[in-house]
Amino acid sequence: MMDVMEEVLHAETNGTKGGRSDTVDLNDSSLQVDISDALSEREKVKFTVHTKTTLAEYTKPEFSVVRQHEEFIWLHDRFDENEDYAGFIIPPPPPRPDFDASREKLQKLGEGEGSMTKEEFNKMKQELEAEYLATFKKTVAMHEVFLTRLAQHPIFRNDHNFKVFLEYEQDLSVRSKNKKEKVEGLIKNFNKTTDELLLSATQKDVDEYFEKEKGFLLEYHMAIKDSTAKADRMTRCHKNVADSYIKLSSGLSQLGAIEGPRFEKFVNKVSEAFEKGRKVEGRVASDEDLKLSDSLRYYMRDTSAAKDLLYRRLRCLANYEQANKNLDRARAKNKDVHAGCFVQMAELAQQNACEKFEQMSEKAKEELTDFKMRRVAAFKKNLVELAELELKHAKAQVQLQKNCLQSLEEEC
Amino acid sequence: MADSREPPPLFDDDDSRKDDENDDLFTSAVQSPVSEGGSLTPTVEEDVEKPGEQTDPLSDSPPEAAAHSTIQAQPSDSTSSPLFSQSPSLPRADTPPMTSEPVDLFESCSLGGNDSEDVTPTAVGPMTAGQEQEVSLDDNDDTGIFQSTAAPKLQLNQNDNEKKDEFIEITVTDPQKIGDGMGAYMAYKVTTKTNISYFRKQHWSVMRRFSDFLGLHSKLVEKHLHSGRIVPPAPQKSAIGTTKIKLGSDKSAESSIEFIEKRRAALERYMNRTAAHPTLRGDPDFREFVELDAELPRATQTSALSSAGVLRLFNRVGETVNKMTFKMDESDQWFEEKTQQIESLDNQLHKLHASLEGLVNYRRELAISTAIFAKSVAVLSSVEEHSALSRALHQLSEAEERIHTIHNAQADADYFHMAETTKDYIALIAAVKDVFHERVKAFQMWQHSQQMLAKKREAKAKAELVAKPDKIQQAQAEVTEWETKVERSQEEFERISKAIKKEIDQFEIIRVKDFKETLVKYLEALMTSQQQIIKVWETFIPEAKAIV
Repeated sequence: MMDVMEEVLHAETNGTKGGRSDTVDLNDSSLQVDISDALSEREKVKFTVHTKTTLAEYTKPEFSVVRQHEEFIWLHDRFDENEDYAGFIIPPPPPRPDFDASREKLQKLGEGEGSMTKEEFNKMKQELEAEYLATFKKTVAMHEVFLTRLAQHPIFRNDHNFKVFLEYEQDLSVRSKNKKEKVEGLIKNFNKTTDELLLSATQKDVDEYFEKEKGFLLEYHMAIKDSTAKADRMTRCHKNVADSYIKLSSGLSQLGAIEGPRFEKFVNKVSEAFEKGRKVEGRVASDEDLKLSDSLRYYMRDTSAAKDLLYRRLRCLANYEQANKNLDRARAKNKDVHAGCFVQMAELAQQNACEKFEQMSEKAKEELTDFKMRRVAAFKKNLVELAELELKHAKAQVQLQKNCLQSLEEEC
Repeated sequence: MADSREPPPLFDDDDSRKDDENDDLFTSAVQSPVSEGGSLTPTVEEDVEKPGEQTDPLSDSPPEAAAHSTIQAQPSDSTSSPLFSQSPSLPRADTPPMTSEPVDLFESCSLGGNDSEDVTPTAVGPMTAGQEQEVSLDDNDDTGIFQSTAAPKLQLNQNDNEKKDEFIEITVTDPQKIGDGMGAYMAYKVTTKTNISYFRKQHWSVMRRFSDFLGLHSKLVEKHLHSGRIVPPAPQKSAIGTTKIKLGSDKSAESSIEFIEKRRAALERYMNRTAAHPTLRGDPDFREFVELDAELPRATQTSALSSAGVLRLFNRVGETVNKMTFKMDESDQWFEEKTQQIESLDNQLHKLHASLEGLVNYRRELAISTAIFAKSVAVLSSVEEHSALSRALHQLSEAEERIHTIHNAQADADYFHMAETTKDYIALIAAVKDVFHERVKAFQMWQHSQQMLAKKREAKAKAELVAKPDKIQQAQAEVTEWETKVERSQEEFERISKAIKKEIDQFEIIRVKDFKETLVKYLEALMTSQQQIIKVWETFIPEAKAIV
């Protein structure tokens, strides 16, 4: 079991970390963040965020704090709301640690305990534990990736909230939103979505590049969301197949026990082969999950974040055009000198809006190009790794089966 | 050598033809050559030592040859596989010792006037292939009991023996829908290839429908079950499947195609199992089934709603009650063990089958979800603006599509190799249980007759007390009658016990072999699909690496 977990961890950190941030310049090691430890306590998971830095702003060169999921979300929201960062793609927040599926399975297993042999029960329990561990590692990795991306972004890393998050030793006392706030959040989201729709319908973008990008991102987002769901389903099915090997293997070994000597050895060999085969199949399933589903999922979220960026830009544009209109109106209304201040105000507003918009457009262009590069590189890496792993596993299976067949021949 | 007793059934066509007799291996095999003008020999070639003597292995070679066969039979046995300890020893031994054993054999046969009852509990057909079967009929008749020893060997297929193999292979193919509407049914082409001489040709086909197969099975059961033979069970009827065929249009729904394929494969396995059993395949009903070119008379007893069906239902209920209530005094350790073993085997097979079905379902689901995923990736690839990535994604979609096909094929293999075989064995185990039950019934009969005998003896004693001569005589007659009945039922019981032992031994060997083969085939199938998966990913990798 240990080696399975080691490999999962290894694969994950390699895959996720590397793939998702490898286009950012890693030579700059002035701020390194990672999650050195994580503890699962009933409902909560506590992450130990460990920072190593050479930057002067931080009081110590190396330190650790304990953070919970809600605090990560808090951090993300601070970035999201910050107008200064409107031109950037905000890294998507890590998903909530979700052990419900594992817990359900554990419960079902407990209920079914009476109907299977002790051996089978133990095996399934082991399997579940491994699954739980894998989910755990995944969630750790995702939280870590979120932080590393922030740490390596030239602008984000200097954010005050980020610093607080990394350094502040006490609890950030971020309570998760209570009902009222949740409803507020929902309404806000709803408004945003309708606004987005409205804008995309009415607002014509002056820049063709952005117009095209918007179209692309929308379509892409839908397609990738679909793929993610299907990939998840496929991985789950695969896992089921691997698990059903357990029953098969134990059924066969029981049969062997009944059969007695002449058949037993033979059957036991087959049963063993199935047991080993199951482990490999399980690996196949989890690798698929990591390389394929997770990549898809991450880029789905990233695409969503990119869409948000474009939305903000569009809103900015709308504001800019609105400011223009206001200015014109003001100028039109106030032809005489005395109303100059109105005009001035409008002029100022318009100028601000213009600046904002242009800055945003610049940054957005950069971000989008960056996003594309990142995405392509990550996919390439993950696809190659996926194929290689699948190949490795398939070869291992063939070897297993060959060995088994050989020893069976000798047996006969 | 002549015998004082009634001639062996060999010469006695009529008697041996009676279906309701306890025909056993010996007689039925015998009938065939006899019916064909007394030509002996199914093409089983026995020992080289008996070149000219193509004796029907099971039959006692016609009396003239009997003598020869006995003597010749003896050495030939040396190479026989010790199927049952008795047989090999029999021929090898000299006559005197031989007399003793066959005598035992004989005693267990019903001597009481049941004509066709004949030797060879030892001759009980092995259910098959690969085993040499020795039928020894001792022809030494000093004791006046007909004993014949012919130990021709019947072997099927492989064996380390140099003897030529008797071979029969049946394939069921070409399901065709005949007729329309409610009267429609599927007909299957039954092709037989054989080198057994009592069949008219070496290779031919006939058309049969499902109820024909069921009819054959019920006839075989009627004839052979109480001799302690394990008759392979026929595939089950299925109301759903039949309705699909009747109402569905030709080859339309996938599910009905699947159903037909399942049934076809099951019928083929059934036919081959039955053919592998030397007694059963010599049975005239079986031979008629495979040979007769015309349509067979409708086996109406097999339909569920007929009066025969209802009768069967009643019988079955009665039997089940009997099974549950009667606890037999098991004196034979062997049977005790075996019964238990069969029980646990039954349970285990059920469990195994359930988990196999689970595996098949999951794998099919996997195949479906892989296909769906492949399509989704294709869409993604078309949306993707980066051309190299788009190409790679497209390749991924194709790779997954191919993998989906592989998974599907694997699920089929899972199903047909493992799940169906396990199901067959579950049914076979049920047949074995039936045979055991027959034995229990024989025991019951015996007990019953013993009780009756005791009563009659009492009655006689009473009559003697009263000293009424006619009553005494009557009572005496009854006592004698019951005495013979007791003897007969005891022999019956012992005969069936012995027959079962042989059958079970055979069955075990075949079962083990069959299962081994299935497992090996299954592993090979798994291996093949993994190798195919390897190829798929190997072609994909360069594509993925080509992303700029």
